[in-house]
Amino acid sequence: MRPFRFIAFAVVRAWQGFWRNAMMSLAATSTVVLMLVLLSGLLIVLAGLDSGLHYIESKVGVTARLQDSLPQPQLDTLLADIRALPGVSRADYISPDDALNRLKEFYQEQGQTLDLGGAPISLYASVEISLTDPNFAESVQSALGERPEVERITTRQVDYAKLLSIVGYVRTVGFIALALVGLTVLFMIVNMIRIAVYSRSGEIEIMRLVGASDSFIRWPFILEGILCGVIGAVVTIILVAVAWEPIKPIMVRVFQMPTAVSTDFLAVLSAVILGVGLGVGAVGSWISVRANLSSAT
Amino acid sequence: MTDTLQRPYVARPEAVDPVISMVDVGMTYPNGKVALVDVNVSIPEGDFVFLVGPSGAGKSTFIRLLIREQLPTTGRVVVAGRDLSTMRRGQVPSLRRRIGIVFQDFRLLPAKTVYENVAFALEVTGATNGEIRRRVPRLLNLVGLHEHDDHLPAQLSGGEQQRTAIARALVHDPAMLIADEPTGNLDPVTSWDLIQLLIQINAMGTTVLMATHNQEIVNAMRRRVLALEHGTLVRDESSAAYEREY
Repeated sequence: MRPFRFIAFAVVRAWQGFWRNAMMSLAATSTVVLMLVLLSGLLIVLAGLDSGLHYIESKVGVTARLQDSLPQPQLDTLLADIRALPGVSRADYISPDDALNRLKEFYQEQGQTLDLGGAPISLYASVEISLTDPNFAESVQSALGERPEVERITTRQVDYAKLLSIVGYVRTVGFIALALVGLTVLFMIVNMIRIAVYSRSGEIEIMRLVGASDSFIRWPFILEGILCGVIGAVVTIILVAVAWEPIKPIMVRVFQMPTAVSTDFLAVLSAVILGVGLGVGAVGSWISVRANLSSAT
Repeated sequence: MTDTLQRPYVARPEAVDPVISMVDVGMTYPNGKVALVDVNVSIPEGDFVFLVGPSGAGKSTFIRLLIREQLPTTGRVVVAGRDLSTMRRGQVPSLRRRIGIVFQDFRLLPAKTVYENVAFALEVTGATNGEIRRRVPRLLNLVGLHEHDDHLPAQLSGGEQQRTAIARALVHDPAMLIADEPTGNLDPVTSWDLIQLLIQINAMGTTVLMATHNQEIVNAMRRRVLALEHGTLVRDESSAAYEREY
């Protein structure tokens, strides 16, 4: 078999077949678009919730504002003592310069510039303490309260477990809905290919009689299903790309998604949409071809 | 072999290897219907053979076994040196390129022209455009349709449609041509034209097996006749008539 001839034949036949039953093909493609739009929506919401969770998670902990100009040996001792406390997973010293840099970065992420008008600014040094469990916040806070180096203690605590269960719920319900739509799409593609097989039964019979191999008979139908999935995916990617501009600021501001992540997210989402569209098309048409062309002896 | 045969089949001393060989072939369908019983046939390369018998005698099953649309329940079928019972599924297409087949109802693709119908058989087996351009006109010339190559089947007479089907059956230069009632839908004059074409193809070295109910043609041609009745080969005669003459 000449591979190029085979590929060209299969692609051309798939394209002709797709448009020969245009109504059925477009109906199946529309359901692919519907499924992929739902998938995209779910993934966007989940990505936002995950970002929000990471943000909240990163903020659960205790911050100890330190006295100015603590000598290094004293600072080292304090950090060592804090790290030894039960429930402390991490303790980071944030110098006044670090704090200023963070402030500048924050402004930059919001698309603004920190303009101090040339005035000197001095922020506090602090220790940011992450906890293995938010329930340790109280004991850590009381231990810090006994230290003379610590000027003020701030605790950031939210009902993290509750948030986590909400995200889990959204994820479960979303994927169940998606699975149901996915099954509908599979059914549509299986049916589309079944109709295509029946409408070309005369051709198929002739192909068998003149000695066409199974690949020549089957692959145009499989490619027709893949074409349906890919066209659906491309349409969805265009829709998501158009919708992404208004969605992106919401992801950054409301869900605290970092700007860099939000830029990459669209590319990753497009790849997922394309992969799922292609996969659903291939699986649906493969099932149909197996069921309707299995008698090819 | 059953006792209904007046002249029991005796293998002929063949000068060449048989292109078709059936040994003790039996075929019973899953519903219990017996289609063929202990059929023994050997057809040498270049032969012209009529397969006759009433409807339901087993002619269609006989043909389906030859193109491996079905496998026999018992016995062996060997076509062009290949035992079809042991043939893998992936080898079936190459077998079918060694066998051309035409039917009573032509089975042409109505939306394709004469040229495209013939080219289709090459296209679906991976032939290049160059091969298609070289072979299709030659075949249309052979069957006398070179001036109708852009016609759709609906624009052709029955005889011309059957000639198109024959051209398509010959695209792979098959060792044998099976014609299942090829004159069934044709008037007597057109039928004789078609038979002349089959004779010409046979003269070029292609074995021809023709299933038919047309007594006039069989009687006039005086070729080898295989007669089936109730799935049994009741007659295998050279230079024979449609019905037994003794």
